[in-house]
Amino acid sequence: MLFNSVNFALFLPVVFLLYWFAAQGNVKRQNVLLLVSSYFFYACWDYRFLFLLVFSTVLDYSTGIKMHEAKTRALKRFWFWLSISINVGFLGIFKYYNFFTESFADGLSLLGVSANFGTLQVILPVGISFYTFHGLSYVIDIYKDRIPPEKNFIDYSVFVSFFPLLVAGPIERATHLLPQIVRSREFDYAKAVDGLRQILWGLFKKIVIADNCAEYANMIFGNSAGASGSTLVAGALFFTFQIYCDFSGYSDIALGTARLFGIDLLRNFAFPYFSRDIAEFWRRWHISLSTWFRDYLYIPLGGSRGGMWFKVRNTFIIFLVSGFWHGANWTFIAWGLLNALFIMPSILLKTNRVNLEIAAKGKALPTLREAGAILTTFCLTVLAWIVFRAESLGHAATYITGIFTRSLFTIPRFERMDEAAVTMYLVLAFLVVEWIGREQQYAIARVGAAWPRTARWAFYSLLIFVLGMFMQTTETPFIYFQF
Amino acid sequence: MKKFFRSIALFTPFAAAVYVLLVVLTGNFAAGLPGKNLKYRKGSIGFLHSRLQEIDTMKHVDILFLGSSHTYRGFDTRIFSRHGMRTLNLGSSAQSVLQTEVLLRRYLDRIQPATIVWEVSPASLISDGVESSLDIVSNDRNDLWSFQMAAKQNHITVYNTLIYSLYLDVFRQNAAFTEDRRKADDLYIDGGFVQKDPQAYQIIRRVPAEVSINAKQFLSFERCLSLIRASGSRLVMVQAPVARSLYDSYLGHKEFDAQISAYGPYYNFNEILSLHDSTHFYDSDHLNQSGVARFNTALIRILSDRR
Repeated sequence: MLFNSVNFALFLPVVFLLYWFAAQGNVKRQNVLLLVSSYFFYACWDYRFLFLLVFSTVLDYSTGIKMHEAKTRALKRFWFWLSISINVGFLGIFKYYNFFTESFADGLSLLGVSANFGTLQVILPVGISFYTFHGLSYVIDIYKDRIPPEKNFIDYSVFVSFFPLLVAGPIERATHLLPQIVRSREFDYAKAVDGLRQILWGLFKKIVIADNCAEYANMIFGNSAGASGSTLVAGALFFTFQIYCDFSGYSDIALGTARLFGIDLLRNFAFPYFSRDIAEFWRRWHISLSTWFRDYLYIPLGGSRGGMWFKVRNTFIIFLVSGFWHGANWTFIAWGLLNALFIMPSILLKTNRVNLEIAAKGKALPTLREAGAILTTFCLTVLAWIVFRAESLGHAATYITGIFTRSLFTIPRFERMDEAAVTMYLVLAFLVVEWIGREQQYAIARVGAAWPRTARWAFYSLLIFVLGMFMQTTETPFIYFQF
Repeated sequence: MKKFFRSIALFTPFAAAVYVLLVVLTGNFAAGLPGKNLKYRKGSIGFLHSRLQEIDTMKHVDILFLGSSHTYRGFDTRIFSRHGMRTLNLGSSAQSVLQTEVLLRRYLDRIQPATIVWEVSPASLISDGVESSLDIVSNDRNDLWSFQMAAKQNHITVYNTLIYSLYLDVFRQNAAFTEDRRKADDLYIDGGFVQKDPQAYQIIRRVPAEVSINAKQFLSFERCLSLIRASGSRLVMVQAPVARSLYDSYLGHKEFDAQISAYGPYYNFNEILSLHDSTHFYDSDHLNQSGVARFNTALIRILSDRR
């Protein structure tokens, strides 16, 4: 069930009404309803993998309690590693089995040894990377005595499976989400309206910007051989906006949906394309994953303690693992590596925490220096996205070398240029709105806050109109569902 | 909570009104904007507007033709007229069965044809019918059946075009519209046939694909049959000839023919006539005038035999 589908448009109001009326403010009933709805939501994707979600939930719930009750440190460690190895094991089998066997066979063939390990047609269960990371953070937090285990199985299950975040995050923390699930929730008009507004903005990003950009990005990446440098740049730009609006659009819908139920999820995006350096970009892009890696990998590895060499090593590890998290493909690993290289100058010069506030805070326009920094960071990001989007490392290499030719200074040429130009104008309009709203949680959070209600409603209606006028006519899945 | 639902209840009609207003403004002032989901096609290439204007003068025709462009470019009303048959061609661009149903519901009682020749092909049952819906919504008077057709298709372009078309209907913005009888190489002939000027055949290569019938279309097909039976008109279903290269791109003709034959008299002219792509067609879908003459003569013979 896609967020941008008619099915979800029917599902959400039904769950909303049952939640606030049938459950009659009883938190236990509300949580049971959320759990049933979440499992139904997941089963609509693929009911066969529901068992995996339930198993993962039972495993982490049980080991959490066992760790807490363990009389000895050794026993506690046993339960901890049992949970970690089963969770990571499942992730490894479902997500990386074929990658490892194929890569190993390829490696042997380079040495002249022919090997055929046989690949399994392993289907990737949707959301496995996200709910596994939920579970891992919970288990690690209990092991480190940061939180006590949740004794109520329903409450814990809702934490893992809450449908807005189930298939593509944000990757939540028990410390943030569980207390909200346990306590009773009152309907809050302002919160609900804000949720609807964020859903609308998320739908706009996904349906109008991402899906239209996808048309041309797919076309150009699929026919990149022989394309001019300028056409390849256009393809890379289309993908740059596609992936941002696809994923941040999803996150906006997830956050907005959760707010309708009185729950605040972690913010996942904070206008990353206005970043002035790569370190800032990574503080603004997929925040819930970046902070997860920071807290559960970078800091345990020693973080920035132990001198520059450790800092550099840990940074490379984080980015390689982050790339690998996205999928079993060398392009993702190379993308992670490239980002590690891009961030290195600021790590070495210790300038990685210079730009903590949003660009041009309190001002209408950035300074020339800021604009230059934003543009440079954006170009590096686009370059990295080419590697991310390419079919293979070879494809990425030919794509990038194809850009830096004399044809870079020609007019791009591809099919349906007139329609693509309309999409470009929409992207420009979108960027203007994002820039204006960059100090808010999401771009239109405060648009029209001081306007009369009719004007504000007219703005929302205009967004709905643009949705209807420029949406693609087939439902398109979100990119991050495959991760 | 009350305030929330009151806001929703007020915002919904407000947003709907703004939406309609903006669709109308787009239709009026940005009709040429590419890539948008509004495709109003009054007086489009298929001459459906002219064809519909003839209905009022065409009661009790001998034959009513229904189907896609294979129909309005394949059944020459002049040839049938020479054989003493009064005919009306109600073909429309890419007409799928869903649109045939709408036309039957609107006009069957009024036309009361003795015989209905319905062009049924894999294309008419596998397509989503959006193109044809846009043609009908733009060129015909809209009524409840338009809403039903749009709901069945559930396609945003059809909804938007229907909104704009309804506005034009209500405010009679297109009342004075007249359609030229000639458009580029096409000439409209009385009764609904469209004659193409002679031109060289264009080969279009296609990858063979299985015929996978759209379930909604097939349900509509069965409803059309019921309507025709109830009207008392005789029904003859035909599959019009297409270029061999196109015909071979659909797999499973035998199964398709057997399935359609089960519902009434059905003739697949691709199997009956021996036509040559470059001699009898101007493109992979459509017969040239020489092909039309052979096709129509063969059909008239069959119809006469059936009598």
